[in-house]
Amino acid sequence: MDLFAQILVNGVLLGGLYAIMALGLALVWGVLNIVNLAHGAFIMLGAYLSWSLYTFLGIDPFVGLPITAVVMFALGYALQRGLLNLLVRAPMFNTLLITFGLEVVLTYLAQMVFSADFRAINPSYAGASVALGPITIPVARLAAFGAALVLTVGLWLFLLHTRLGRAIRATAQNLVAARLYGVEPMRLYAVTFGLGMALAGMAGTLYGTVSQINPYIGSALTAKSFAIAIIGGLDNPLGVIVGGVLLGVIESLTTLYIGPTFADVASFGILVLVLIIRPGGLIGRTRTA
Amino acid sequence: MRVLFRRTLPLACALLAAAVPAAAVHAQDIVLGASVQLTGPDANTGRYYKDAYQLAIDKINASGGVKFGGASHKLVLKLYDNQSDINLSVRQYTQLVTQDKVNLLLGPFASAFVIADSAIAEKYKVPMVQGGGASDQIYARKFKYIFGTLPAASNYYGSTIELLKQVQPKPQTVALLHADDAFDMSVAKGTRDLLQKAGLKLVMDERYHINSTDFSSLLSQVKSANPDVVLVAGLETDILNFVRQSKSLNVSPKMYSMTVGVPSADFRKALGKDSEYAFGMTAWLPSAENKDKWFGDGEQFAQAWKTKFGYDPDYHAGSGVADVEALTLAMEAAGSAEPQKVRDALAKVKFDSEYGMVAFHENGQIFDIPQIVIQIQNDKVVPIFSGKGLLAKPVYPVPAWNAR
Repeated sequence: MDLFAQILVNGVLLGGLYAIMALGLALVWGVLNIVNLAHGAFIMLGAYLSWSLYTFLGIDPFVGLPITAVVMFALGYALQRGLLNLLVRAPMFNTLLITFGLEVVLTYLAQMVFSADFRAINPSYAGASVALGPITIPVARLAAFGAALVLTVGLWLFLLHTRLGRAIRATAQNLVAARLYGVEPMRLYAVTFGLGMALAGMAGTLYGTVSQINPYIGSALTAKSFAIAIIGGLDNPLGVIVGGVLLGVIESLTTLYIGPTFADVASFGILVLVLIIRPGGLIGRTRTA
Repeated sequence: MRVLFRRTLPLACALLAAAVPAAAVHAQDIVLGASVQLTGPDANTGRYYKDAYQLAIDKINASGGVKFGGASHKLVLKLYDNQSDINLSVRQYTQLVTQDKVNLLLGPFASAFVIADSAIAEKYKVPMVQGGGASDQIYARKFKYIFGTLPAASNYYGSTIELLKQVQPKPQTVALLHADDAFDMSVAKGTRDLLQKAGLKLVMDERYHINSTDFSSLLSQVKSANPDVVLVAGLETDILNFVRQSKSLNVSPKMYSMTVGVPSADFRKALGKDSEYAFGMTAWLPSAENKDKWFGDGEQFAQAWKTKFGYDPDYHAGSGVADVEALTLAMEAAGSAEPQKVRDALAKVKFDSEYGMVAFHENGQIFDIPQIVIQIQNDKVVPIFSGKGLLAKPVYPVPAWNAR
């Protein structure tokens, strides 16, 4: 029973990390209709950025979160204005190609700059844990989970209650109507993409404090984020949290009861099920294509 | 006179041109072909092979190259980057043999690659000497053209389990976690037999998928099973995640030992003081007792490596250099670079190197080199147990994570 409770806690905490990884992908996909295959590479960049801040300047990864967010936002904004704006309304295949290319470029740039050596963001508390009766809770994961919750709710409130957030949602729903109301899509798309990358960067920071970093972690993270975005749905950030936690718990329980090699089978199996039964995601309206 | 001069000048030039190379007695170069991981997830270890091949070839060339047939032949390396992609590496080895027409082959890194690539060597009957794959599967197919300098995967934990019999309090229970790739499956299979023979009880035996990054559930199960010893056979990335997440879940067995990672400088750099007390193994340590025809001995080899590349060699490096030396000596023994003759000479080769004594079983694998048990103590790799006797005192039981 203790083991079950521990595994459940592990799953929920893992889910928080998953959710923040997928949040940016879902936002960009929902608003710009770009499935960003370079998303995982941006997570990797964020992780290296935090690693550099911590290693060379001694800035704690959690304190450095805003710095990472701002740098990644600027990078995302520039990339969208300079490159991706060319294909916002382009066929899906083109966006896949160009973001895939971007992923390859970023990965190899990272190898040139940081080498293929393995890194870890390792402040003293990264391995600390608190005991709650028989259950051990890793501090870094708890903090990552907390950060994921705060960011998700923050994003949700931003989209719901600010002028900019409403404009973003309006553009996603109906571009023509939004333009008639004076929304400038070029700028808006760049802001959205920047936000998505800022979220990816912060996810990278959190990932780096619990796992190891190398230039090649990106593609696996993109795949996982993709599954979570589909399961959670693209309309609502809260759906992404639900999707992430669900996936984390299912993977952990699969590891316990069936075997670790089946964890991926379970998570991508859920993805297929959701696509069949609720193509719009577990939370959110059903999309009609 | 002028006519004569005009006629003879080109002739003289032609004669001169023909005479220059002949005067230098320039024998034909011997091209060794290889495809290794210079980019992609395995690049971190792949670089050892690139550097090892190049260093060995430079050193051998500097002392006159390969001598047979009354001439000195220079070695040349033809190297491709397989981008950590097995399919690409198979295509590149095919290209090396069929289009580049290299004389002989050196291997890639990692068992899965060697298993696939050695099929090309076998098909075209060009011998491959490799120092990157240890899986027993490589040698189970009775191939004639594959030779390897890493000790058998099934015996990686052999000396560790010998050590377990000697430490106090004597461990009773063991958990074995391993990845699902060719090398780690071989390690796990061999380790189960070794544990049974040693009378140690296997309380947990789990296989995980090779790209796993989250070990928290597996580790919670380990904690619940509470074994004395945890053995992990996986990739270096797995090992790093395993150690970090062990700490964060406070999973503290009396000993944990990993097949890879521990001897490399990278491991200590990435983990900092969390690398402390980790047990691992290495088939090679820079020892002055290992005499070498070209480098002098193992210590001098390590020095030459460090000077040239700026980082410490590990057993991958030693093994890669021994591969080039094996090919060189086999050519000299055969008196030829012809693949078939070199292959037959390789089967009989026996020499001392910086890596230890190199000679091959009939199946192509090196005669057993015992794994030396190592432990990280005070940020240093300390050799603990040679397979026969203690070299240094192990820190056992390892202090619990929350008591460090």
